[in-house]
Amino acid sequence: MSNNYFNTLPLREQLAQLAKCRFMSMDEFSDGVEALKGKKIVVIGCGAQGLNQGLNLRDSGLDVSYTLRAAAIAEKRQSWKNATENGFVVGTYEELIPTADVVLNLTPDKQHTPVVNEVMPLMKKGACLSYSHGFNIVEEGMKIREDLTVIMVAPKCPGSEVRAEYVRGFGVPTLIAVHEDNDPKGEGLALAKAYAVGTGGHKAGVLMSSFIAEVKSDLMGEQTILCGMLQTGSLLCFDKMVEEGIDSGYASKLIQYGWETITEALKYGGVTNMLDRLSNPAKIKAFDLAEELKEIMRPLYNKHQDDIIDGTFSRVMMEDWANDDKNLLGWRAETAETAFEKTPAGDVEISEQEFFDNGILMVAMVKAGVELAFETMTAAGIIAESAYYESLHETPLIANTIARKKLYEMNATISDTAEYGCYLYNHACLPLLADFMKGIKTDVIGKGLDTTDTGVDNARLIEVNAALRSHPVEAIGAVLRGHMADMKKIV
Amino acid sequence: MTQILPSHIEMKSIKIENYTAAFGESFTLNNINWTLEPNQHWVITGANGSGKSALSAILAGAGHKVSGSISGLPQHIEIVSFEAQAELIERELKKDDADIMDVISEGTPVREILEEGKALYPEFDSALLDQLVAMFKLEPMLDRSFRKLSTGETRKIMLIRALANNPDLIILDEPFDGLDTASMQLLQSLLKSKIDSIAMVLVLNRFDEIPDFITHIAYTDHGKLQHSVDINNKQAYDDLYQLLHLKTTELSVPATDLSDRPPSLNPKDPLVRLKNIKVAYGDATIIDGLDWTIEAGQHWQLSGPNGSGKTCLLNLITGDHPQCYTNDIFVFGMQRGHGETIWQIKQYIGYVSTALQWEYRVSISLRNVILSGFHDSIGVYTKSTDKQKAVADQWLALLGMKDRANEPYNQLSFGDQRLLLIARAMVKHPTLLILDEPCLGLDDINRQLVLALIEKICTSGDTTVLYVNHHAEDQISGITQFKQLEKLDAQSS
Repeated sequence: MSNNYFNTLPLREQLAQLAKCRFMSMDEFSDGVEALKGKKIVVIGCGAQGLNQGLNLRDSGLDVSYTLRAAAIAEKRQSWKNATENGFVVGTYEELIPTADVVLNLTPDKQHTPVVNEVMPLMKKGACLSYSHGFNIVEEGMKIREDLTVIMVAPKCPGSEVRAEYVRGFGVPTLIAVHEDNDPKGEGLALAKAYAVGTGGHKAGVLMSSFIAEVKSDLMGEQTILCGMLQTGSLLCFDKMVEEGIDSGYASKLIQYGWETITEALKYGGVTNMLDRLSNPAKIKAFDLAEELKEIMRPLYNKHQDDIIDGTFSRVMMEDWANDDKNLLGWRAETAETAFEKTPAGDVEISEQEFFDNGILMVAMVKAGVELAFETMTAAGIIAESAYYESLHETPLIANTIARKKLYEMNATISDTAEYGCYLYNHACLPLLADFMKGIKTDVIGKGLDTTDTGVDNARLIEVNAALRSHPVEAIGAVLRGHMADMKKIV
Repeated sequence: MTQILPSHIEMKSIKIENYTAAFGESFTLNNINWTLEPNQHWVITGANGSGKSALSAILAGAGHKVSGSISGLPQHIEIVSFEAQAELIERELKKDDADIMDVISEGTPVREILEEGKALYPEFDSALLDQLVAMFKLEPMLDRSFRKLSTGETRKIMLIRALANNPDLIILDEPFDGLDTASMQLLQSLLKSKIDSIAMVLVLNRFDEIPDFITHIAYTDHGKLQHSVDINNKQAYDDLYQLLHLKTTELSVPATDLSDRPPSLNPKDPLVRLKNIKVAYGDATIIDGLDWTIEAGQHWQLSGPNGSGKTCLLNLITGDHPQCYTNDIFVFGMQRGHGETIWQIKQYIGYVSTALQWEYRVSISLRNVILSGFHDSIGVYTKSTDKQKAVADQWLALLGMKDRANEPYNQLSFGDQRLLLIARAMVKHPTLLILDEPCLGLDDINRQLVLALIEKICTSGDTTVLYVNHHAEDQISGITQFKQLEKLDAQSS
């Protein structure tokens, strides 16, 4: 079994790495793609990230080719088609890796160890190896040859968006990092910045982070609020509605599309705007429910964060990898059999506002999850910018996958690592919320409040609004969203 | 709009069918088909020299008929126009010439001119005459000689006379010309009070002079009746407004921001040189072995059936097709695939296509859509200079959208969006302007507007135009080179 890299560091260094995160200024990118100009970039893997990043880099004047396993080329698999139809040179590891100045590893996390073990001996001396997720380095303790530079460039959006925004002349927010143990020539940062420029990321904002901060925050976000909370919430809300006699087709639809609709409001204006979409009494209700949920779930979030920080999570998960994914596959099959997953969305119209009005509990769950994840991460020493991107920013992206094809699509889209963490969370959270759910009625999920009287107590409303707006995730969110909005609004 | 049938006259539809008429040696009204129903009141508008006065005058029998027919004309038609005014003045002058006695003729007094109709028309309305004279404060002039009146006063007298004659149909060519605001309002309200008994055809240059009782607008262009628009059809009305605006404005393409030009090109190089181009998707070959060179200043028209690879070819030039990296392509001094960025290429190109319109889905104001043309982006992510903003505003004015600069683009009609994207493509006076079926989906009016703009750009000298279309009738004067693509048979390997 591998050695957890993070655990080999002294505490002070651990804290320093976790706290690494800085929003970079545009003028730090004035060198453009210069550091990569004329260098041979070879991408491993041609899925959504691999292909779209490669298209951007090539359109930025860089020399990009793809390397695939010999079998993928021989069988003309989809990855081979993706690369060749887009006019890229494709070759085997043996053919291309030895020529590469920079190797972009854009394969799924789980393949990192075998892939890196295979390509590392082929890489030329002094070349650069780039990751888009640091799990392999941080959690698996992969040791990279000393002469190689190791960097990370992680666009915080799906591959299709990475391309679409570039073509528009913009980009997506991107996280970069240099693995300091592997920066022999001190060129890691220059390469990572040039790479971010090449994909257009610098226009939308770049966070300078560390491998450790990226991994520990990414894992935390994906298994708690992003995937875990949405999965648990979907199952609980659906069962409750059916139990209370609401049409199962309606319940299924309210949940499948509800997450997407309510988190769209989150994307634009944070937790505050999401709750502002509710009537005053509903807002107060959602606020109270969220407070209650946070109290119940806080120990669970703490446990996830602790297990992530000390490496327990990755150790247990990797044991499952070694055990042919027994748990993962079992849980995946279990999820497919849930009542929510098996009930198709009914043929009923639900207006945009109705998703809020009849989904008060869902709003409360998103609020509780986002805030808890953010609070837990920042308490663990992760900086607010990182915590924001790994919680609030990505929630709408995941909600969108549920709208497409429910939990199946979500779990198919996310990495195996996220999926594994999601199931862990779900299994712990369902029983944790059992008592809480007993008190839930259709006024907060399914039917909405009785709207004959929308009066509220002034003092209480002021209190709730103030609490909403003063949460730290709102403060950093306003800054980061403001940056994006500025970019789009500039005249 | 009140639409009550005239109470005292049995009006019929006036039908003008396939009517062609010559006016002098140089002007012809061509193949007019126009129906005026009894309860309609029309404005004819169009650019100078487009034939709007001639169209109105054929109702009063003007022009030399070449072919076609007019039926249903009412008995009594009055026309007030520059020509009719000139005729009357001419008549008065002749009277003077006819007076061989050596006395200074005072000419016909105004009162006599005004009351001429009394003997001719039983429906003559004396009360109205008095009312109008009072309204326009013309009492002091009644006994003066008509010949001695100013042009404006003559025009008023003609108007009053025609109205007092109380015809079935009145044709007023630029009746508000030379009237002050107060007189114009008086006249408008007076006309309005007569709409139930007199059918009206007004020739107007300006949309803002159209009285609210008008029900229909006829638009003339190059001696043809191009459009008949029901005024209640808001969209058609707005389009017509823009078109007229364009036609009647001194149409010139706004200058650009010269401080932000791409590096100049070697004049010896062609703009584009494609050699032995091959594009295939899997087993399907779209383009095979194509060569094409575009020299600066050579305007091209590219056509071909669906699936012949037109858009694909354009995308190879713009850098939007990934296989541009596997072909021998030289654009704007750069051999593709040698370290150039797509932004270096796009800085020389202005581009519009339906695909672009689909992709242009961002929250953005009208002004910013045009500004984005300076940055080759969808949306605006770069600061624009003051000069660029000023240029964008000139374009908005040109499109008749001056007051809508801050409105959201995504709320516009398809046609208006298209117009803005065309302005976006032209705003930087690109070295190469690529218009891929720019008129697709546009109605007639917008199409003509766009074609007029393209013709202007073709003659500007800065820009080489590459124009793609299916429709033979959308010919652009100035385009001399033609390239036709053929669809390849699907090849399988």
